[in-house]
Amino acid sequence: MSASLEKGVRVLKEVIDAPIASYFSSCVHCGLCAEACLFYTETGDPKYTPIHKLEPMRRLYEQEYTVLGRLKKLIGLSKAVTDAELDEWRELVYNSCTLCGRCSVVCPVGNDIVYMVRKFREGMSASGNAPEGIKGAANRTITIGSPMGVKLPAVKAQMRHVEADYGLPIPMDVEGAEYLVMLSSMEIMNFPEYLGAIAKIMNQAGKSWTLCSTAFEATNAGMQIGNSDLARVIVSRIVEAAEKLKVKTVISPECGHAYTALRLEGANLMGRSFGFKVRHIIEVLGEFQEQGLLKTEGFETDRLTFHDPCQLARRGGVIKQQRGLMNMVAKNFVEMPDAGFMNWCCGGGGGASAIEEGEELRMEAFKKKKSQFDAVKPDRVVTACANCRIVMEEGLEHYKMNLPVVGLTEMIADHIPNPVVAKPEGS
Amino acid sequence: MATTNDKEFRVKLETLSVSQQRQVAALFVQRVLGLSNDVRIKAALDMAMRADISDAELAVVSQAANTARVESYAQCGRDSDWNTQAGLFVAKAAVSCVRPDVEGQNLAWDAAMQVRVARTCEAASGDVTDHKEAEAQYAILDDFLSK
Amino acid sequence: MNELQFLTWVRGPGLNLAISIFLLGVFVRLFEIYSLGRKKDLSEPRNVGGASGINTVFRRSLPAEGMLKKSPISYIGGYIFHIGLAIIVFLFVPHIKFFQGLLGISWPGLPSQLVEFVTIVTIVTMLVILLDRITNPVKRYLSTFQDWFTWALTFLPVLTGWLAVRHLLLPYTTMLAVHILMVELLLVFLPFTKLFHAFTVFGSRWFNGTVNGHKGVAV
Repeated sequence: MSASLEKGVRVLKEVIDAPIASYFSSCVHCGLCAEACLFYTETGDPKYTPIHKLEPMRRLYEQEYTVLGRLKKLIGLSKAVTDAELDEWRELVYNSCTLCGRCSVVCPVGNDIVYMVRKFREGMSASGNAPEGIKGAANRTITIGSPMGVKLPAVKAQMRHVEADYGLPIPMDVEGAEYLVMLSSMEIMNFPEYLGAIAKIMNQAGKSWTLCSTAFEATNAGMQIGNSDLARVIVSRIVEAAEKLKVKTVISPECGHAYTALRLEGANLMGRSFGFKVRHIIEVLGEFQEQGLLKTEGFETDRLTFHDPCQLARRGGVIKQQRGLMNMVAKNFVEMPDAGFMNWCCGGGGGASAIEEGEELRMEAFKKKKSQFDAVKPDRVVTACANCRIVMEEGLEHYKMNLPVVGLTEMIADHIPNPVVAKPEGS
Repeated sequence: MATTNDKEFRVKLETLSVSQQRQVAALFVQRVLGLSNDVRIKAALDMAMRADISDAELAVVSQAANTARVESYAQCGRDSDWNTQAGLFVAKAAVSCVRPDVEGQNLAWDAAMQVRVARTCEAASGDVTDHKEAEAQYAILDDFLSK
Repeated sequence: MNELQFLTWVRGPGLNLAISIFLLGVFVRLFEIYSLGRKKDLSEPRNVGGASGINTVFRRSLPAEGMLKKSPISYIGGYIFHIGLAIIVFLFVPHIKFFQGLLGISWPGLPSQLVEFVTIVTIVTMLVILLDRITNPVKRYLSTFQDWFTWALTFLPVLTGWLAVRHLLLPYTTMLAVHILMVELLLVFLPFTKLFHAFTVFGSRWFNGTVNGHKGVAV
């Protein structure tokens, strides 16, 4: 057994807990998880059955944690997990799984399969079997501060641009601000309008906010690779910043996994709870709407539909807010079939879009999303995740569909009248 | 009267006809053409410069420009550089120039904004500290209007 | 060994052995699974009604939105044969008498003809389910020896029980002994196969519901 395989196996053994043991013991091979997984439904290949993606881990569980399994191992009747096998499983665990979580909500015996995939990735990462694409992203995040190599000067350039465009100053490193706004590399690079939108919205709502020069990146490639150590380094940067600046709430940007990493996993990675709240920007906008702080003008009149990012909706529990916000600025908002909790993944989450070899598979899987669009025939699609936006645009381009994709935060900001510099709350 | 701020700039652009908007927008984008080496973008600009473009020609070049735009997104997690990223916004600006369905839209304004972001990307790559793209655009517009 | 000795053995030592292994197996398996524990979730919880472990234990008995039409046989067949098994085991008067002998408690049963009808339905359903496992590409792909074996372990008690009641195939004494033996085999293997889901389904659903409920997601 090579050193890295040994490490991987050790990590896998450590992550197996009572839930995972219970799940493996309950699986009755009904195959319903496959019917919920877009990688199976669009390809018809049963190897993409979610529970099958965990086969090496299941064997390991049996061999290490069950009396019978250990007996079998003793008398040489069990098949050990090998390097070659983990290599073979890379495609199943990364390329064909976006951590969308649909499998977990349909399993009749209650198995939380996505939870298990997340843990399996820990082992894959330790044994060196994570895909190159995500490994690079994770390393860059640690060394440079962003998975895509975005450095502070770049952020500052965007800030200057927004200040020039809107006449609104972008606060940085302001102690005592109510909100610490996090960005994602994807937004900084591809959708710089997001920062302007935040500035406009915060200005109208009269809320104090700030960016942080030492922690502007929310994307957590460590989460996607499945490496808790890396994930922890990234999260702790943000936590330190939030605590140093004494903010009340940290806002996670329009990026699915950033939210999962900070809000849902952050405290566990750090081993302690936070002194601040973590909210997705859509949750915050939902709160502002409820409190009457968003005063929008006018409506979009074309036919719009909303794509629920998996990590935000099904995995994060933010489902109603986006609909409330859509109805605030759209006259013709229609839901696609399976909208909301059971919505289908764009096919690019969980690090999948960073894996070049997986592109063909992703395009196949995109047929599911396409079928939802075909059913509802919108003029435009709205969503709240920078990665979903690009993955969907690429998919639409591939299938020659002329369908623009826009971000919800920007859409809301578009309906806020030109900024008048208001004094922040409390000053 | 010379344009000195964005409010005036935007209003003046709005008074132009669609064909005029396309032409002036193409002038804006030409300034940053060097940041992209995609031939589809150049083709889109050449088309937009012409006053006599047909709907069919517009559709073809618009489709190509859009493909160029989608292809130039920075992929999540992949290493990227700002000079290349500028190309995305050049593409977005070019798409604005040749957008077929422009009822009620100020396509020249959209193009101008995207060009400025492209400049910001160039600035972010560390080569340029600040840019005066807005002023340059005012000058182009005034020059266009005086002809 | 003649048929009477066989019957005496399965009713006596055989039963004791099977029940002992069953109880020990259940205990060992439950312990080895749940003693692994899980780390506490330190993230800020969200209190959403309907999102909890116990909620999922019940809710997961119903198909998730849009899933029934994907595999009606899985759901409908599954319901029929599970309910059928429960009716046969717990509401057939001879079985109730057996439990009375073992545990000292009894309860009213259903008319035997009704139980027989349920038995036929259960047998047919289990055959349909077997066919589905053979023909459905995903089920076939996933299936190992254990899947076919446990199907037989579950099917044979029902079949042999029916044959015994109807006095078919073998002389009654032998048929009854075979039936009891089949039940004993089922008991012996249950804790060590996927059949153990009978016990772990509650824990699994509960964990799933709890972990997601903490995030405010009702699964």
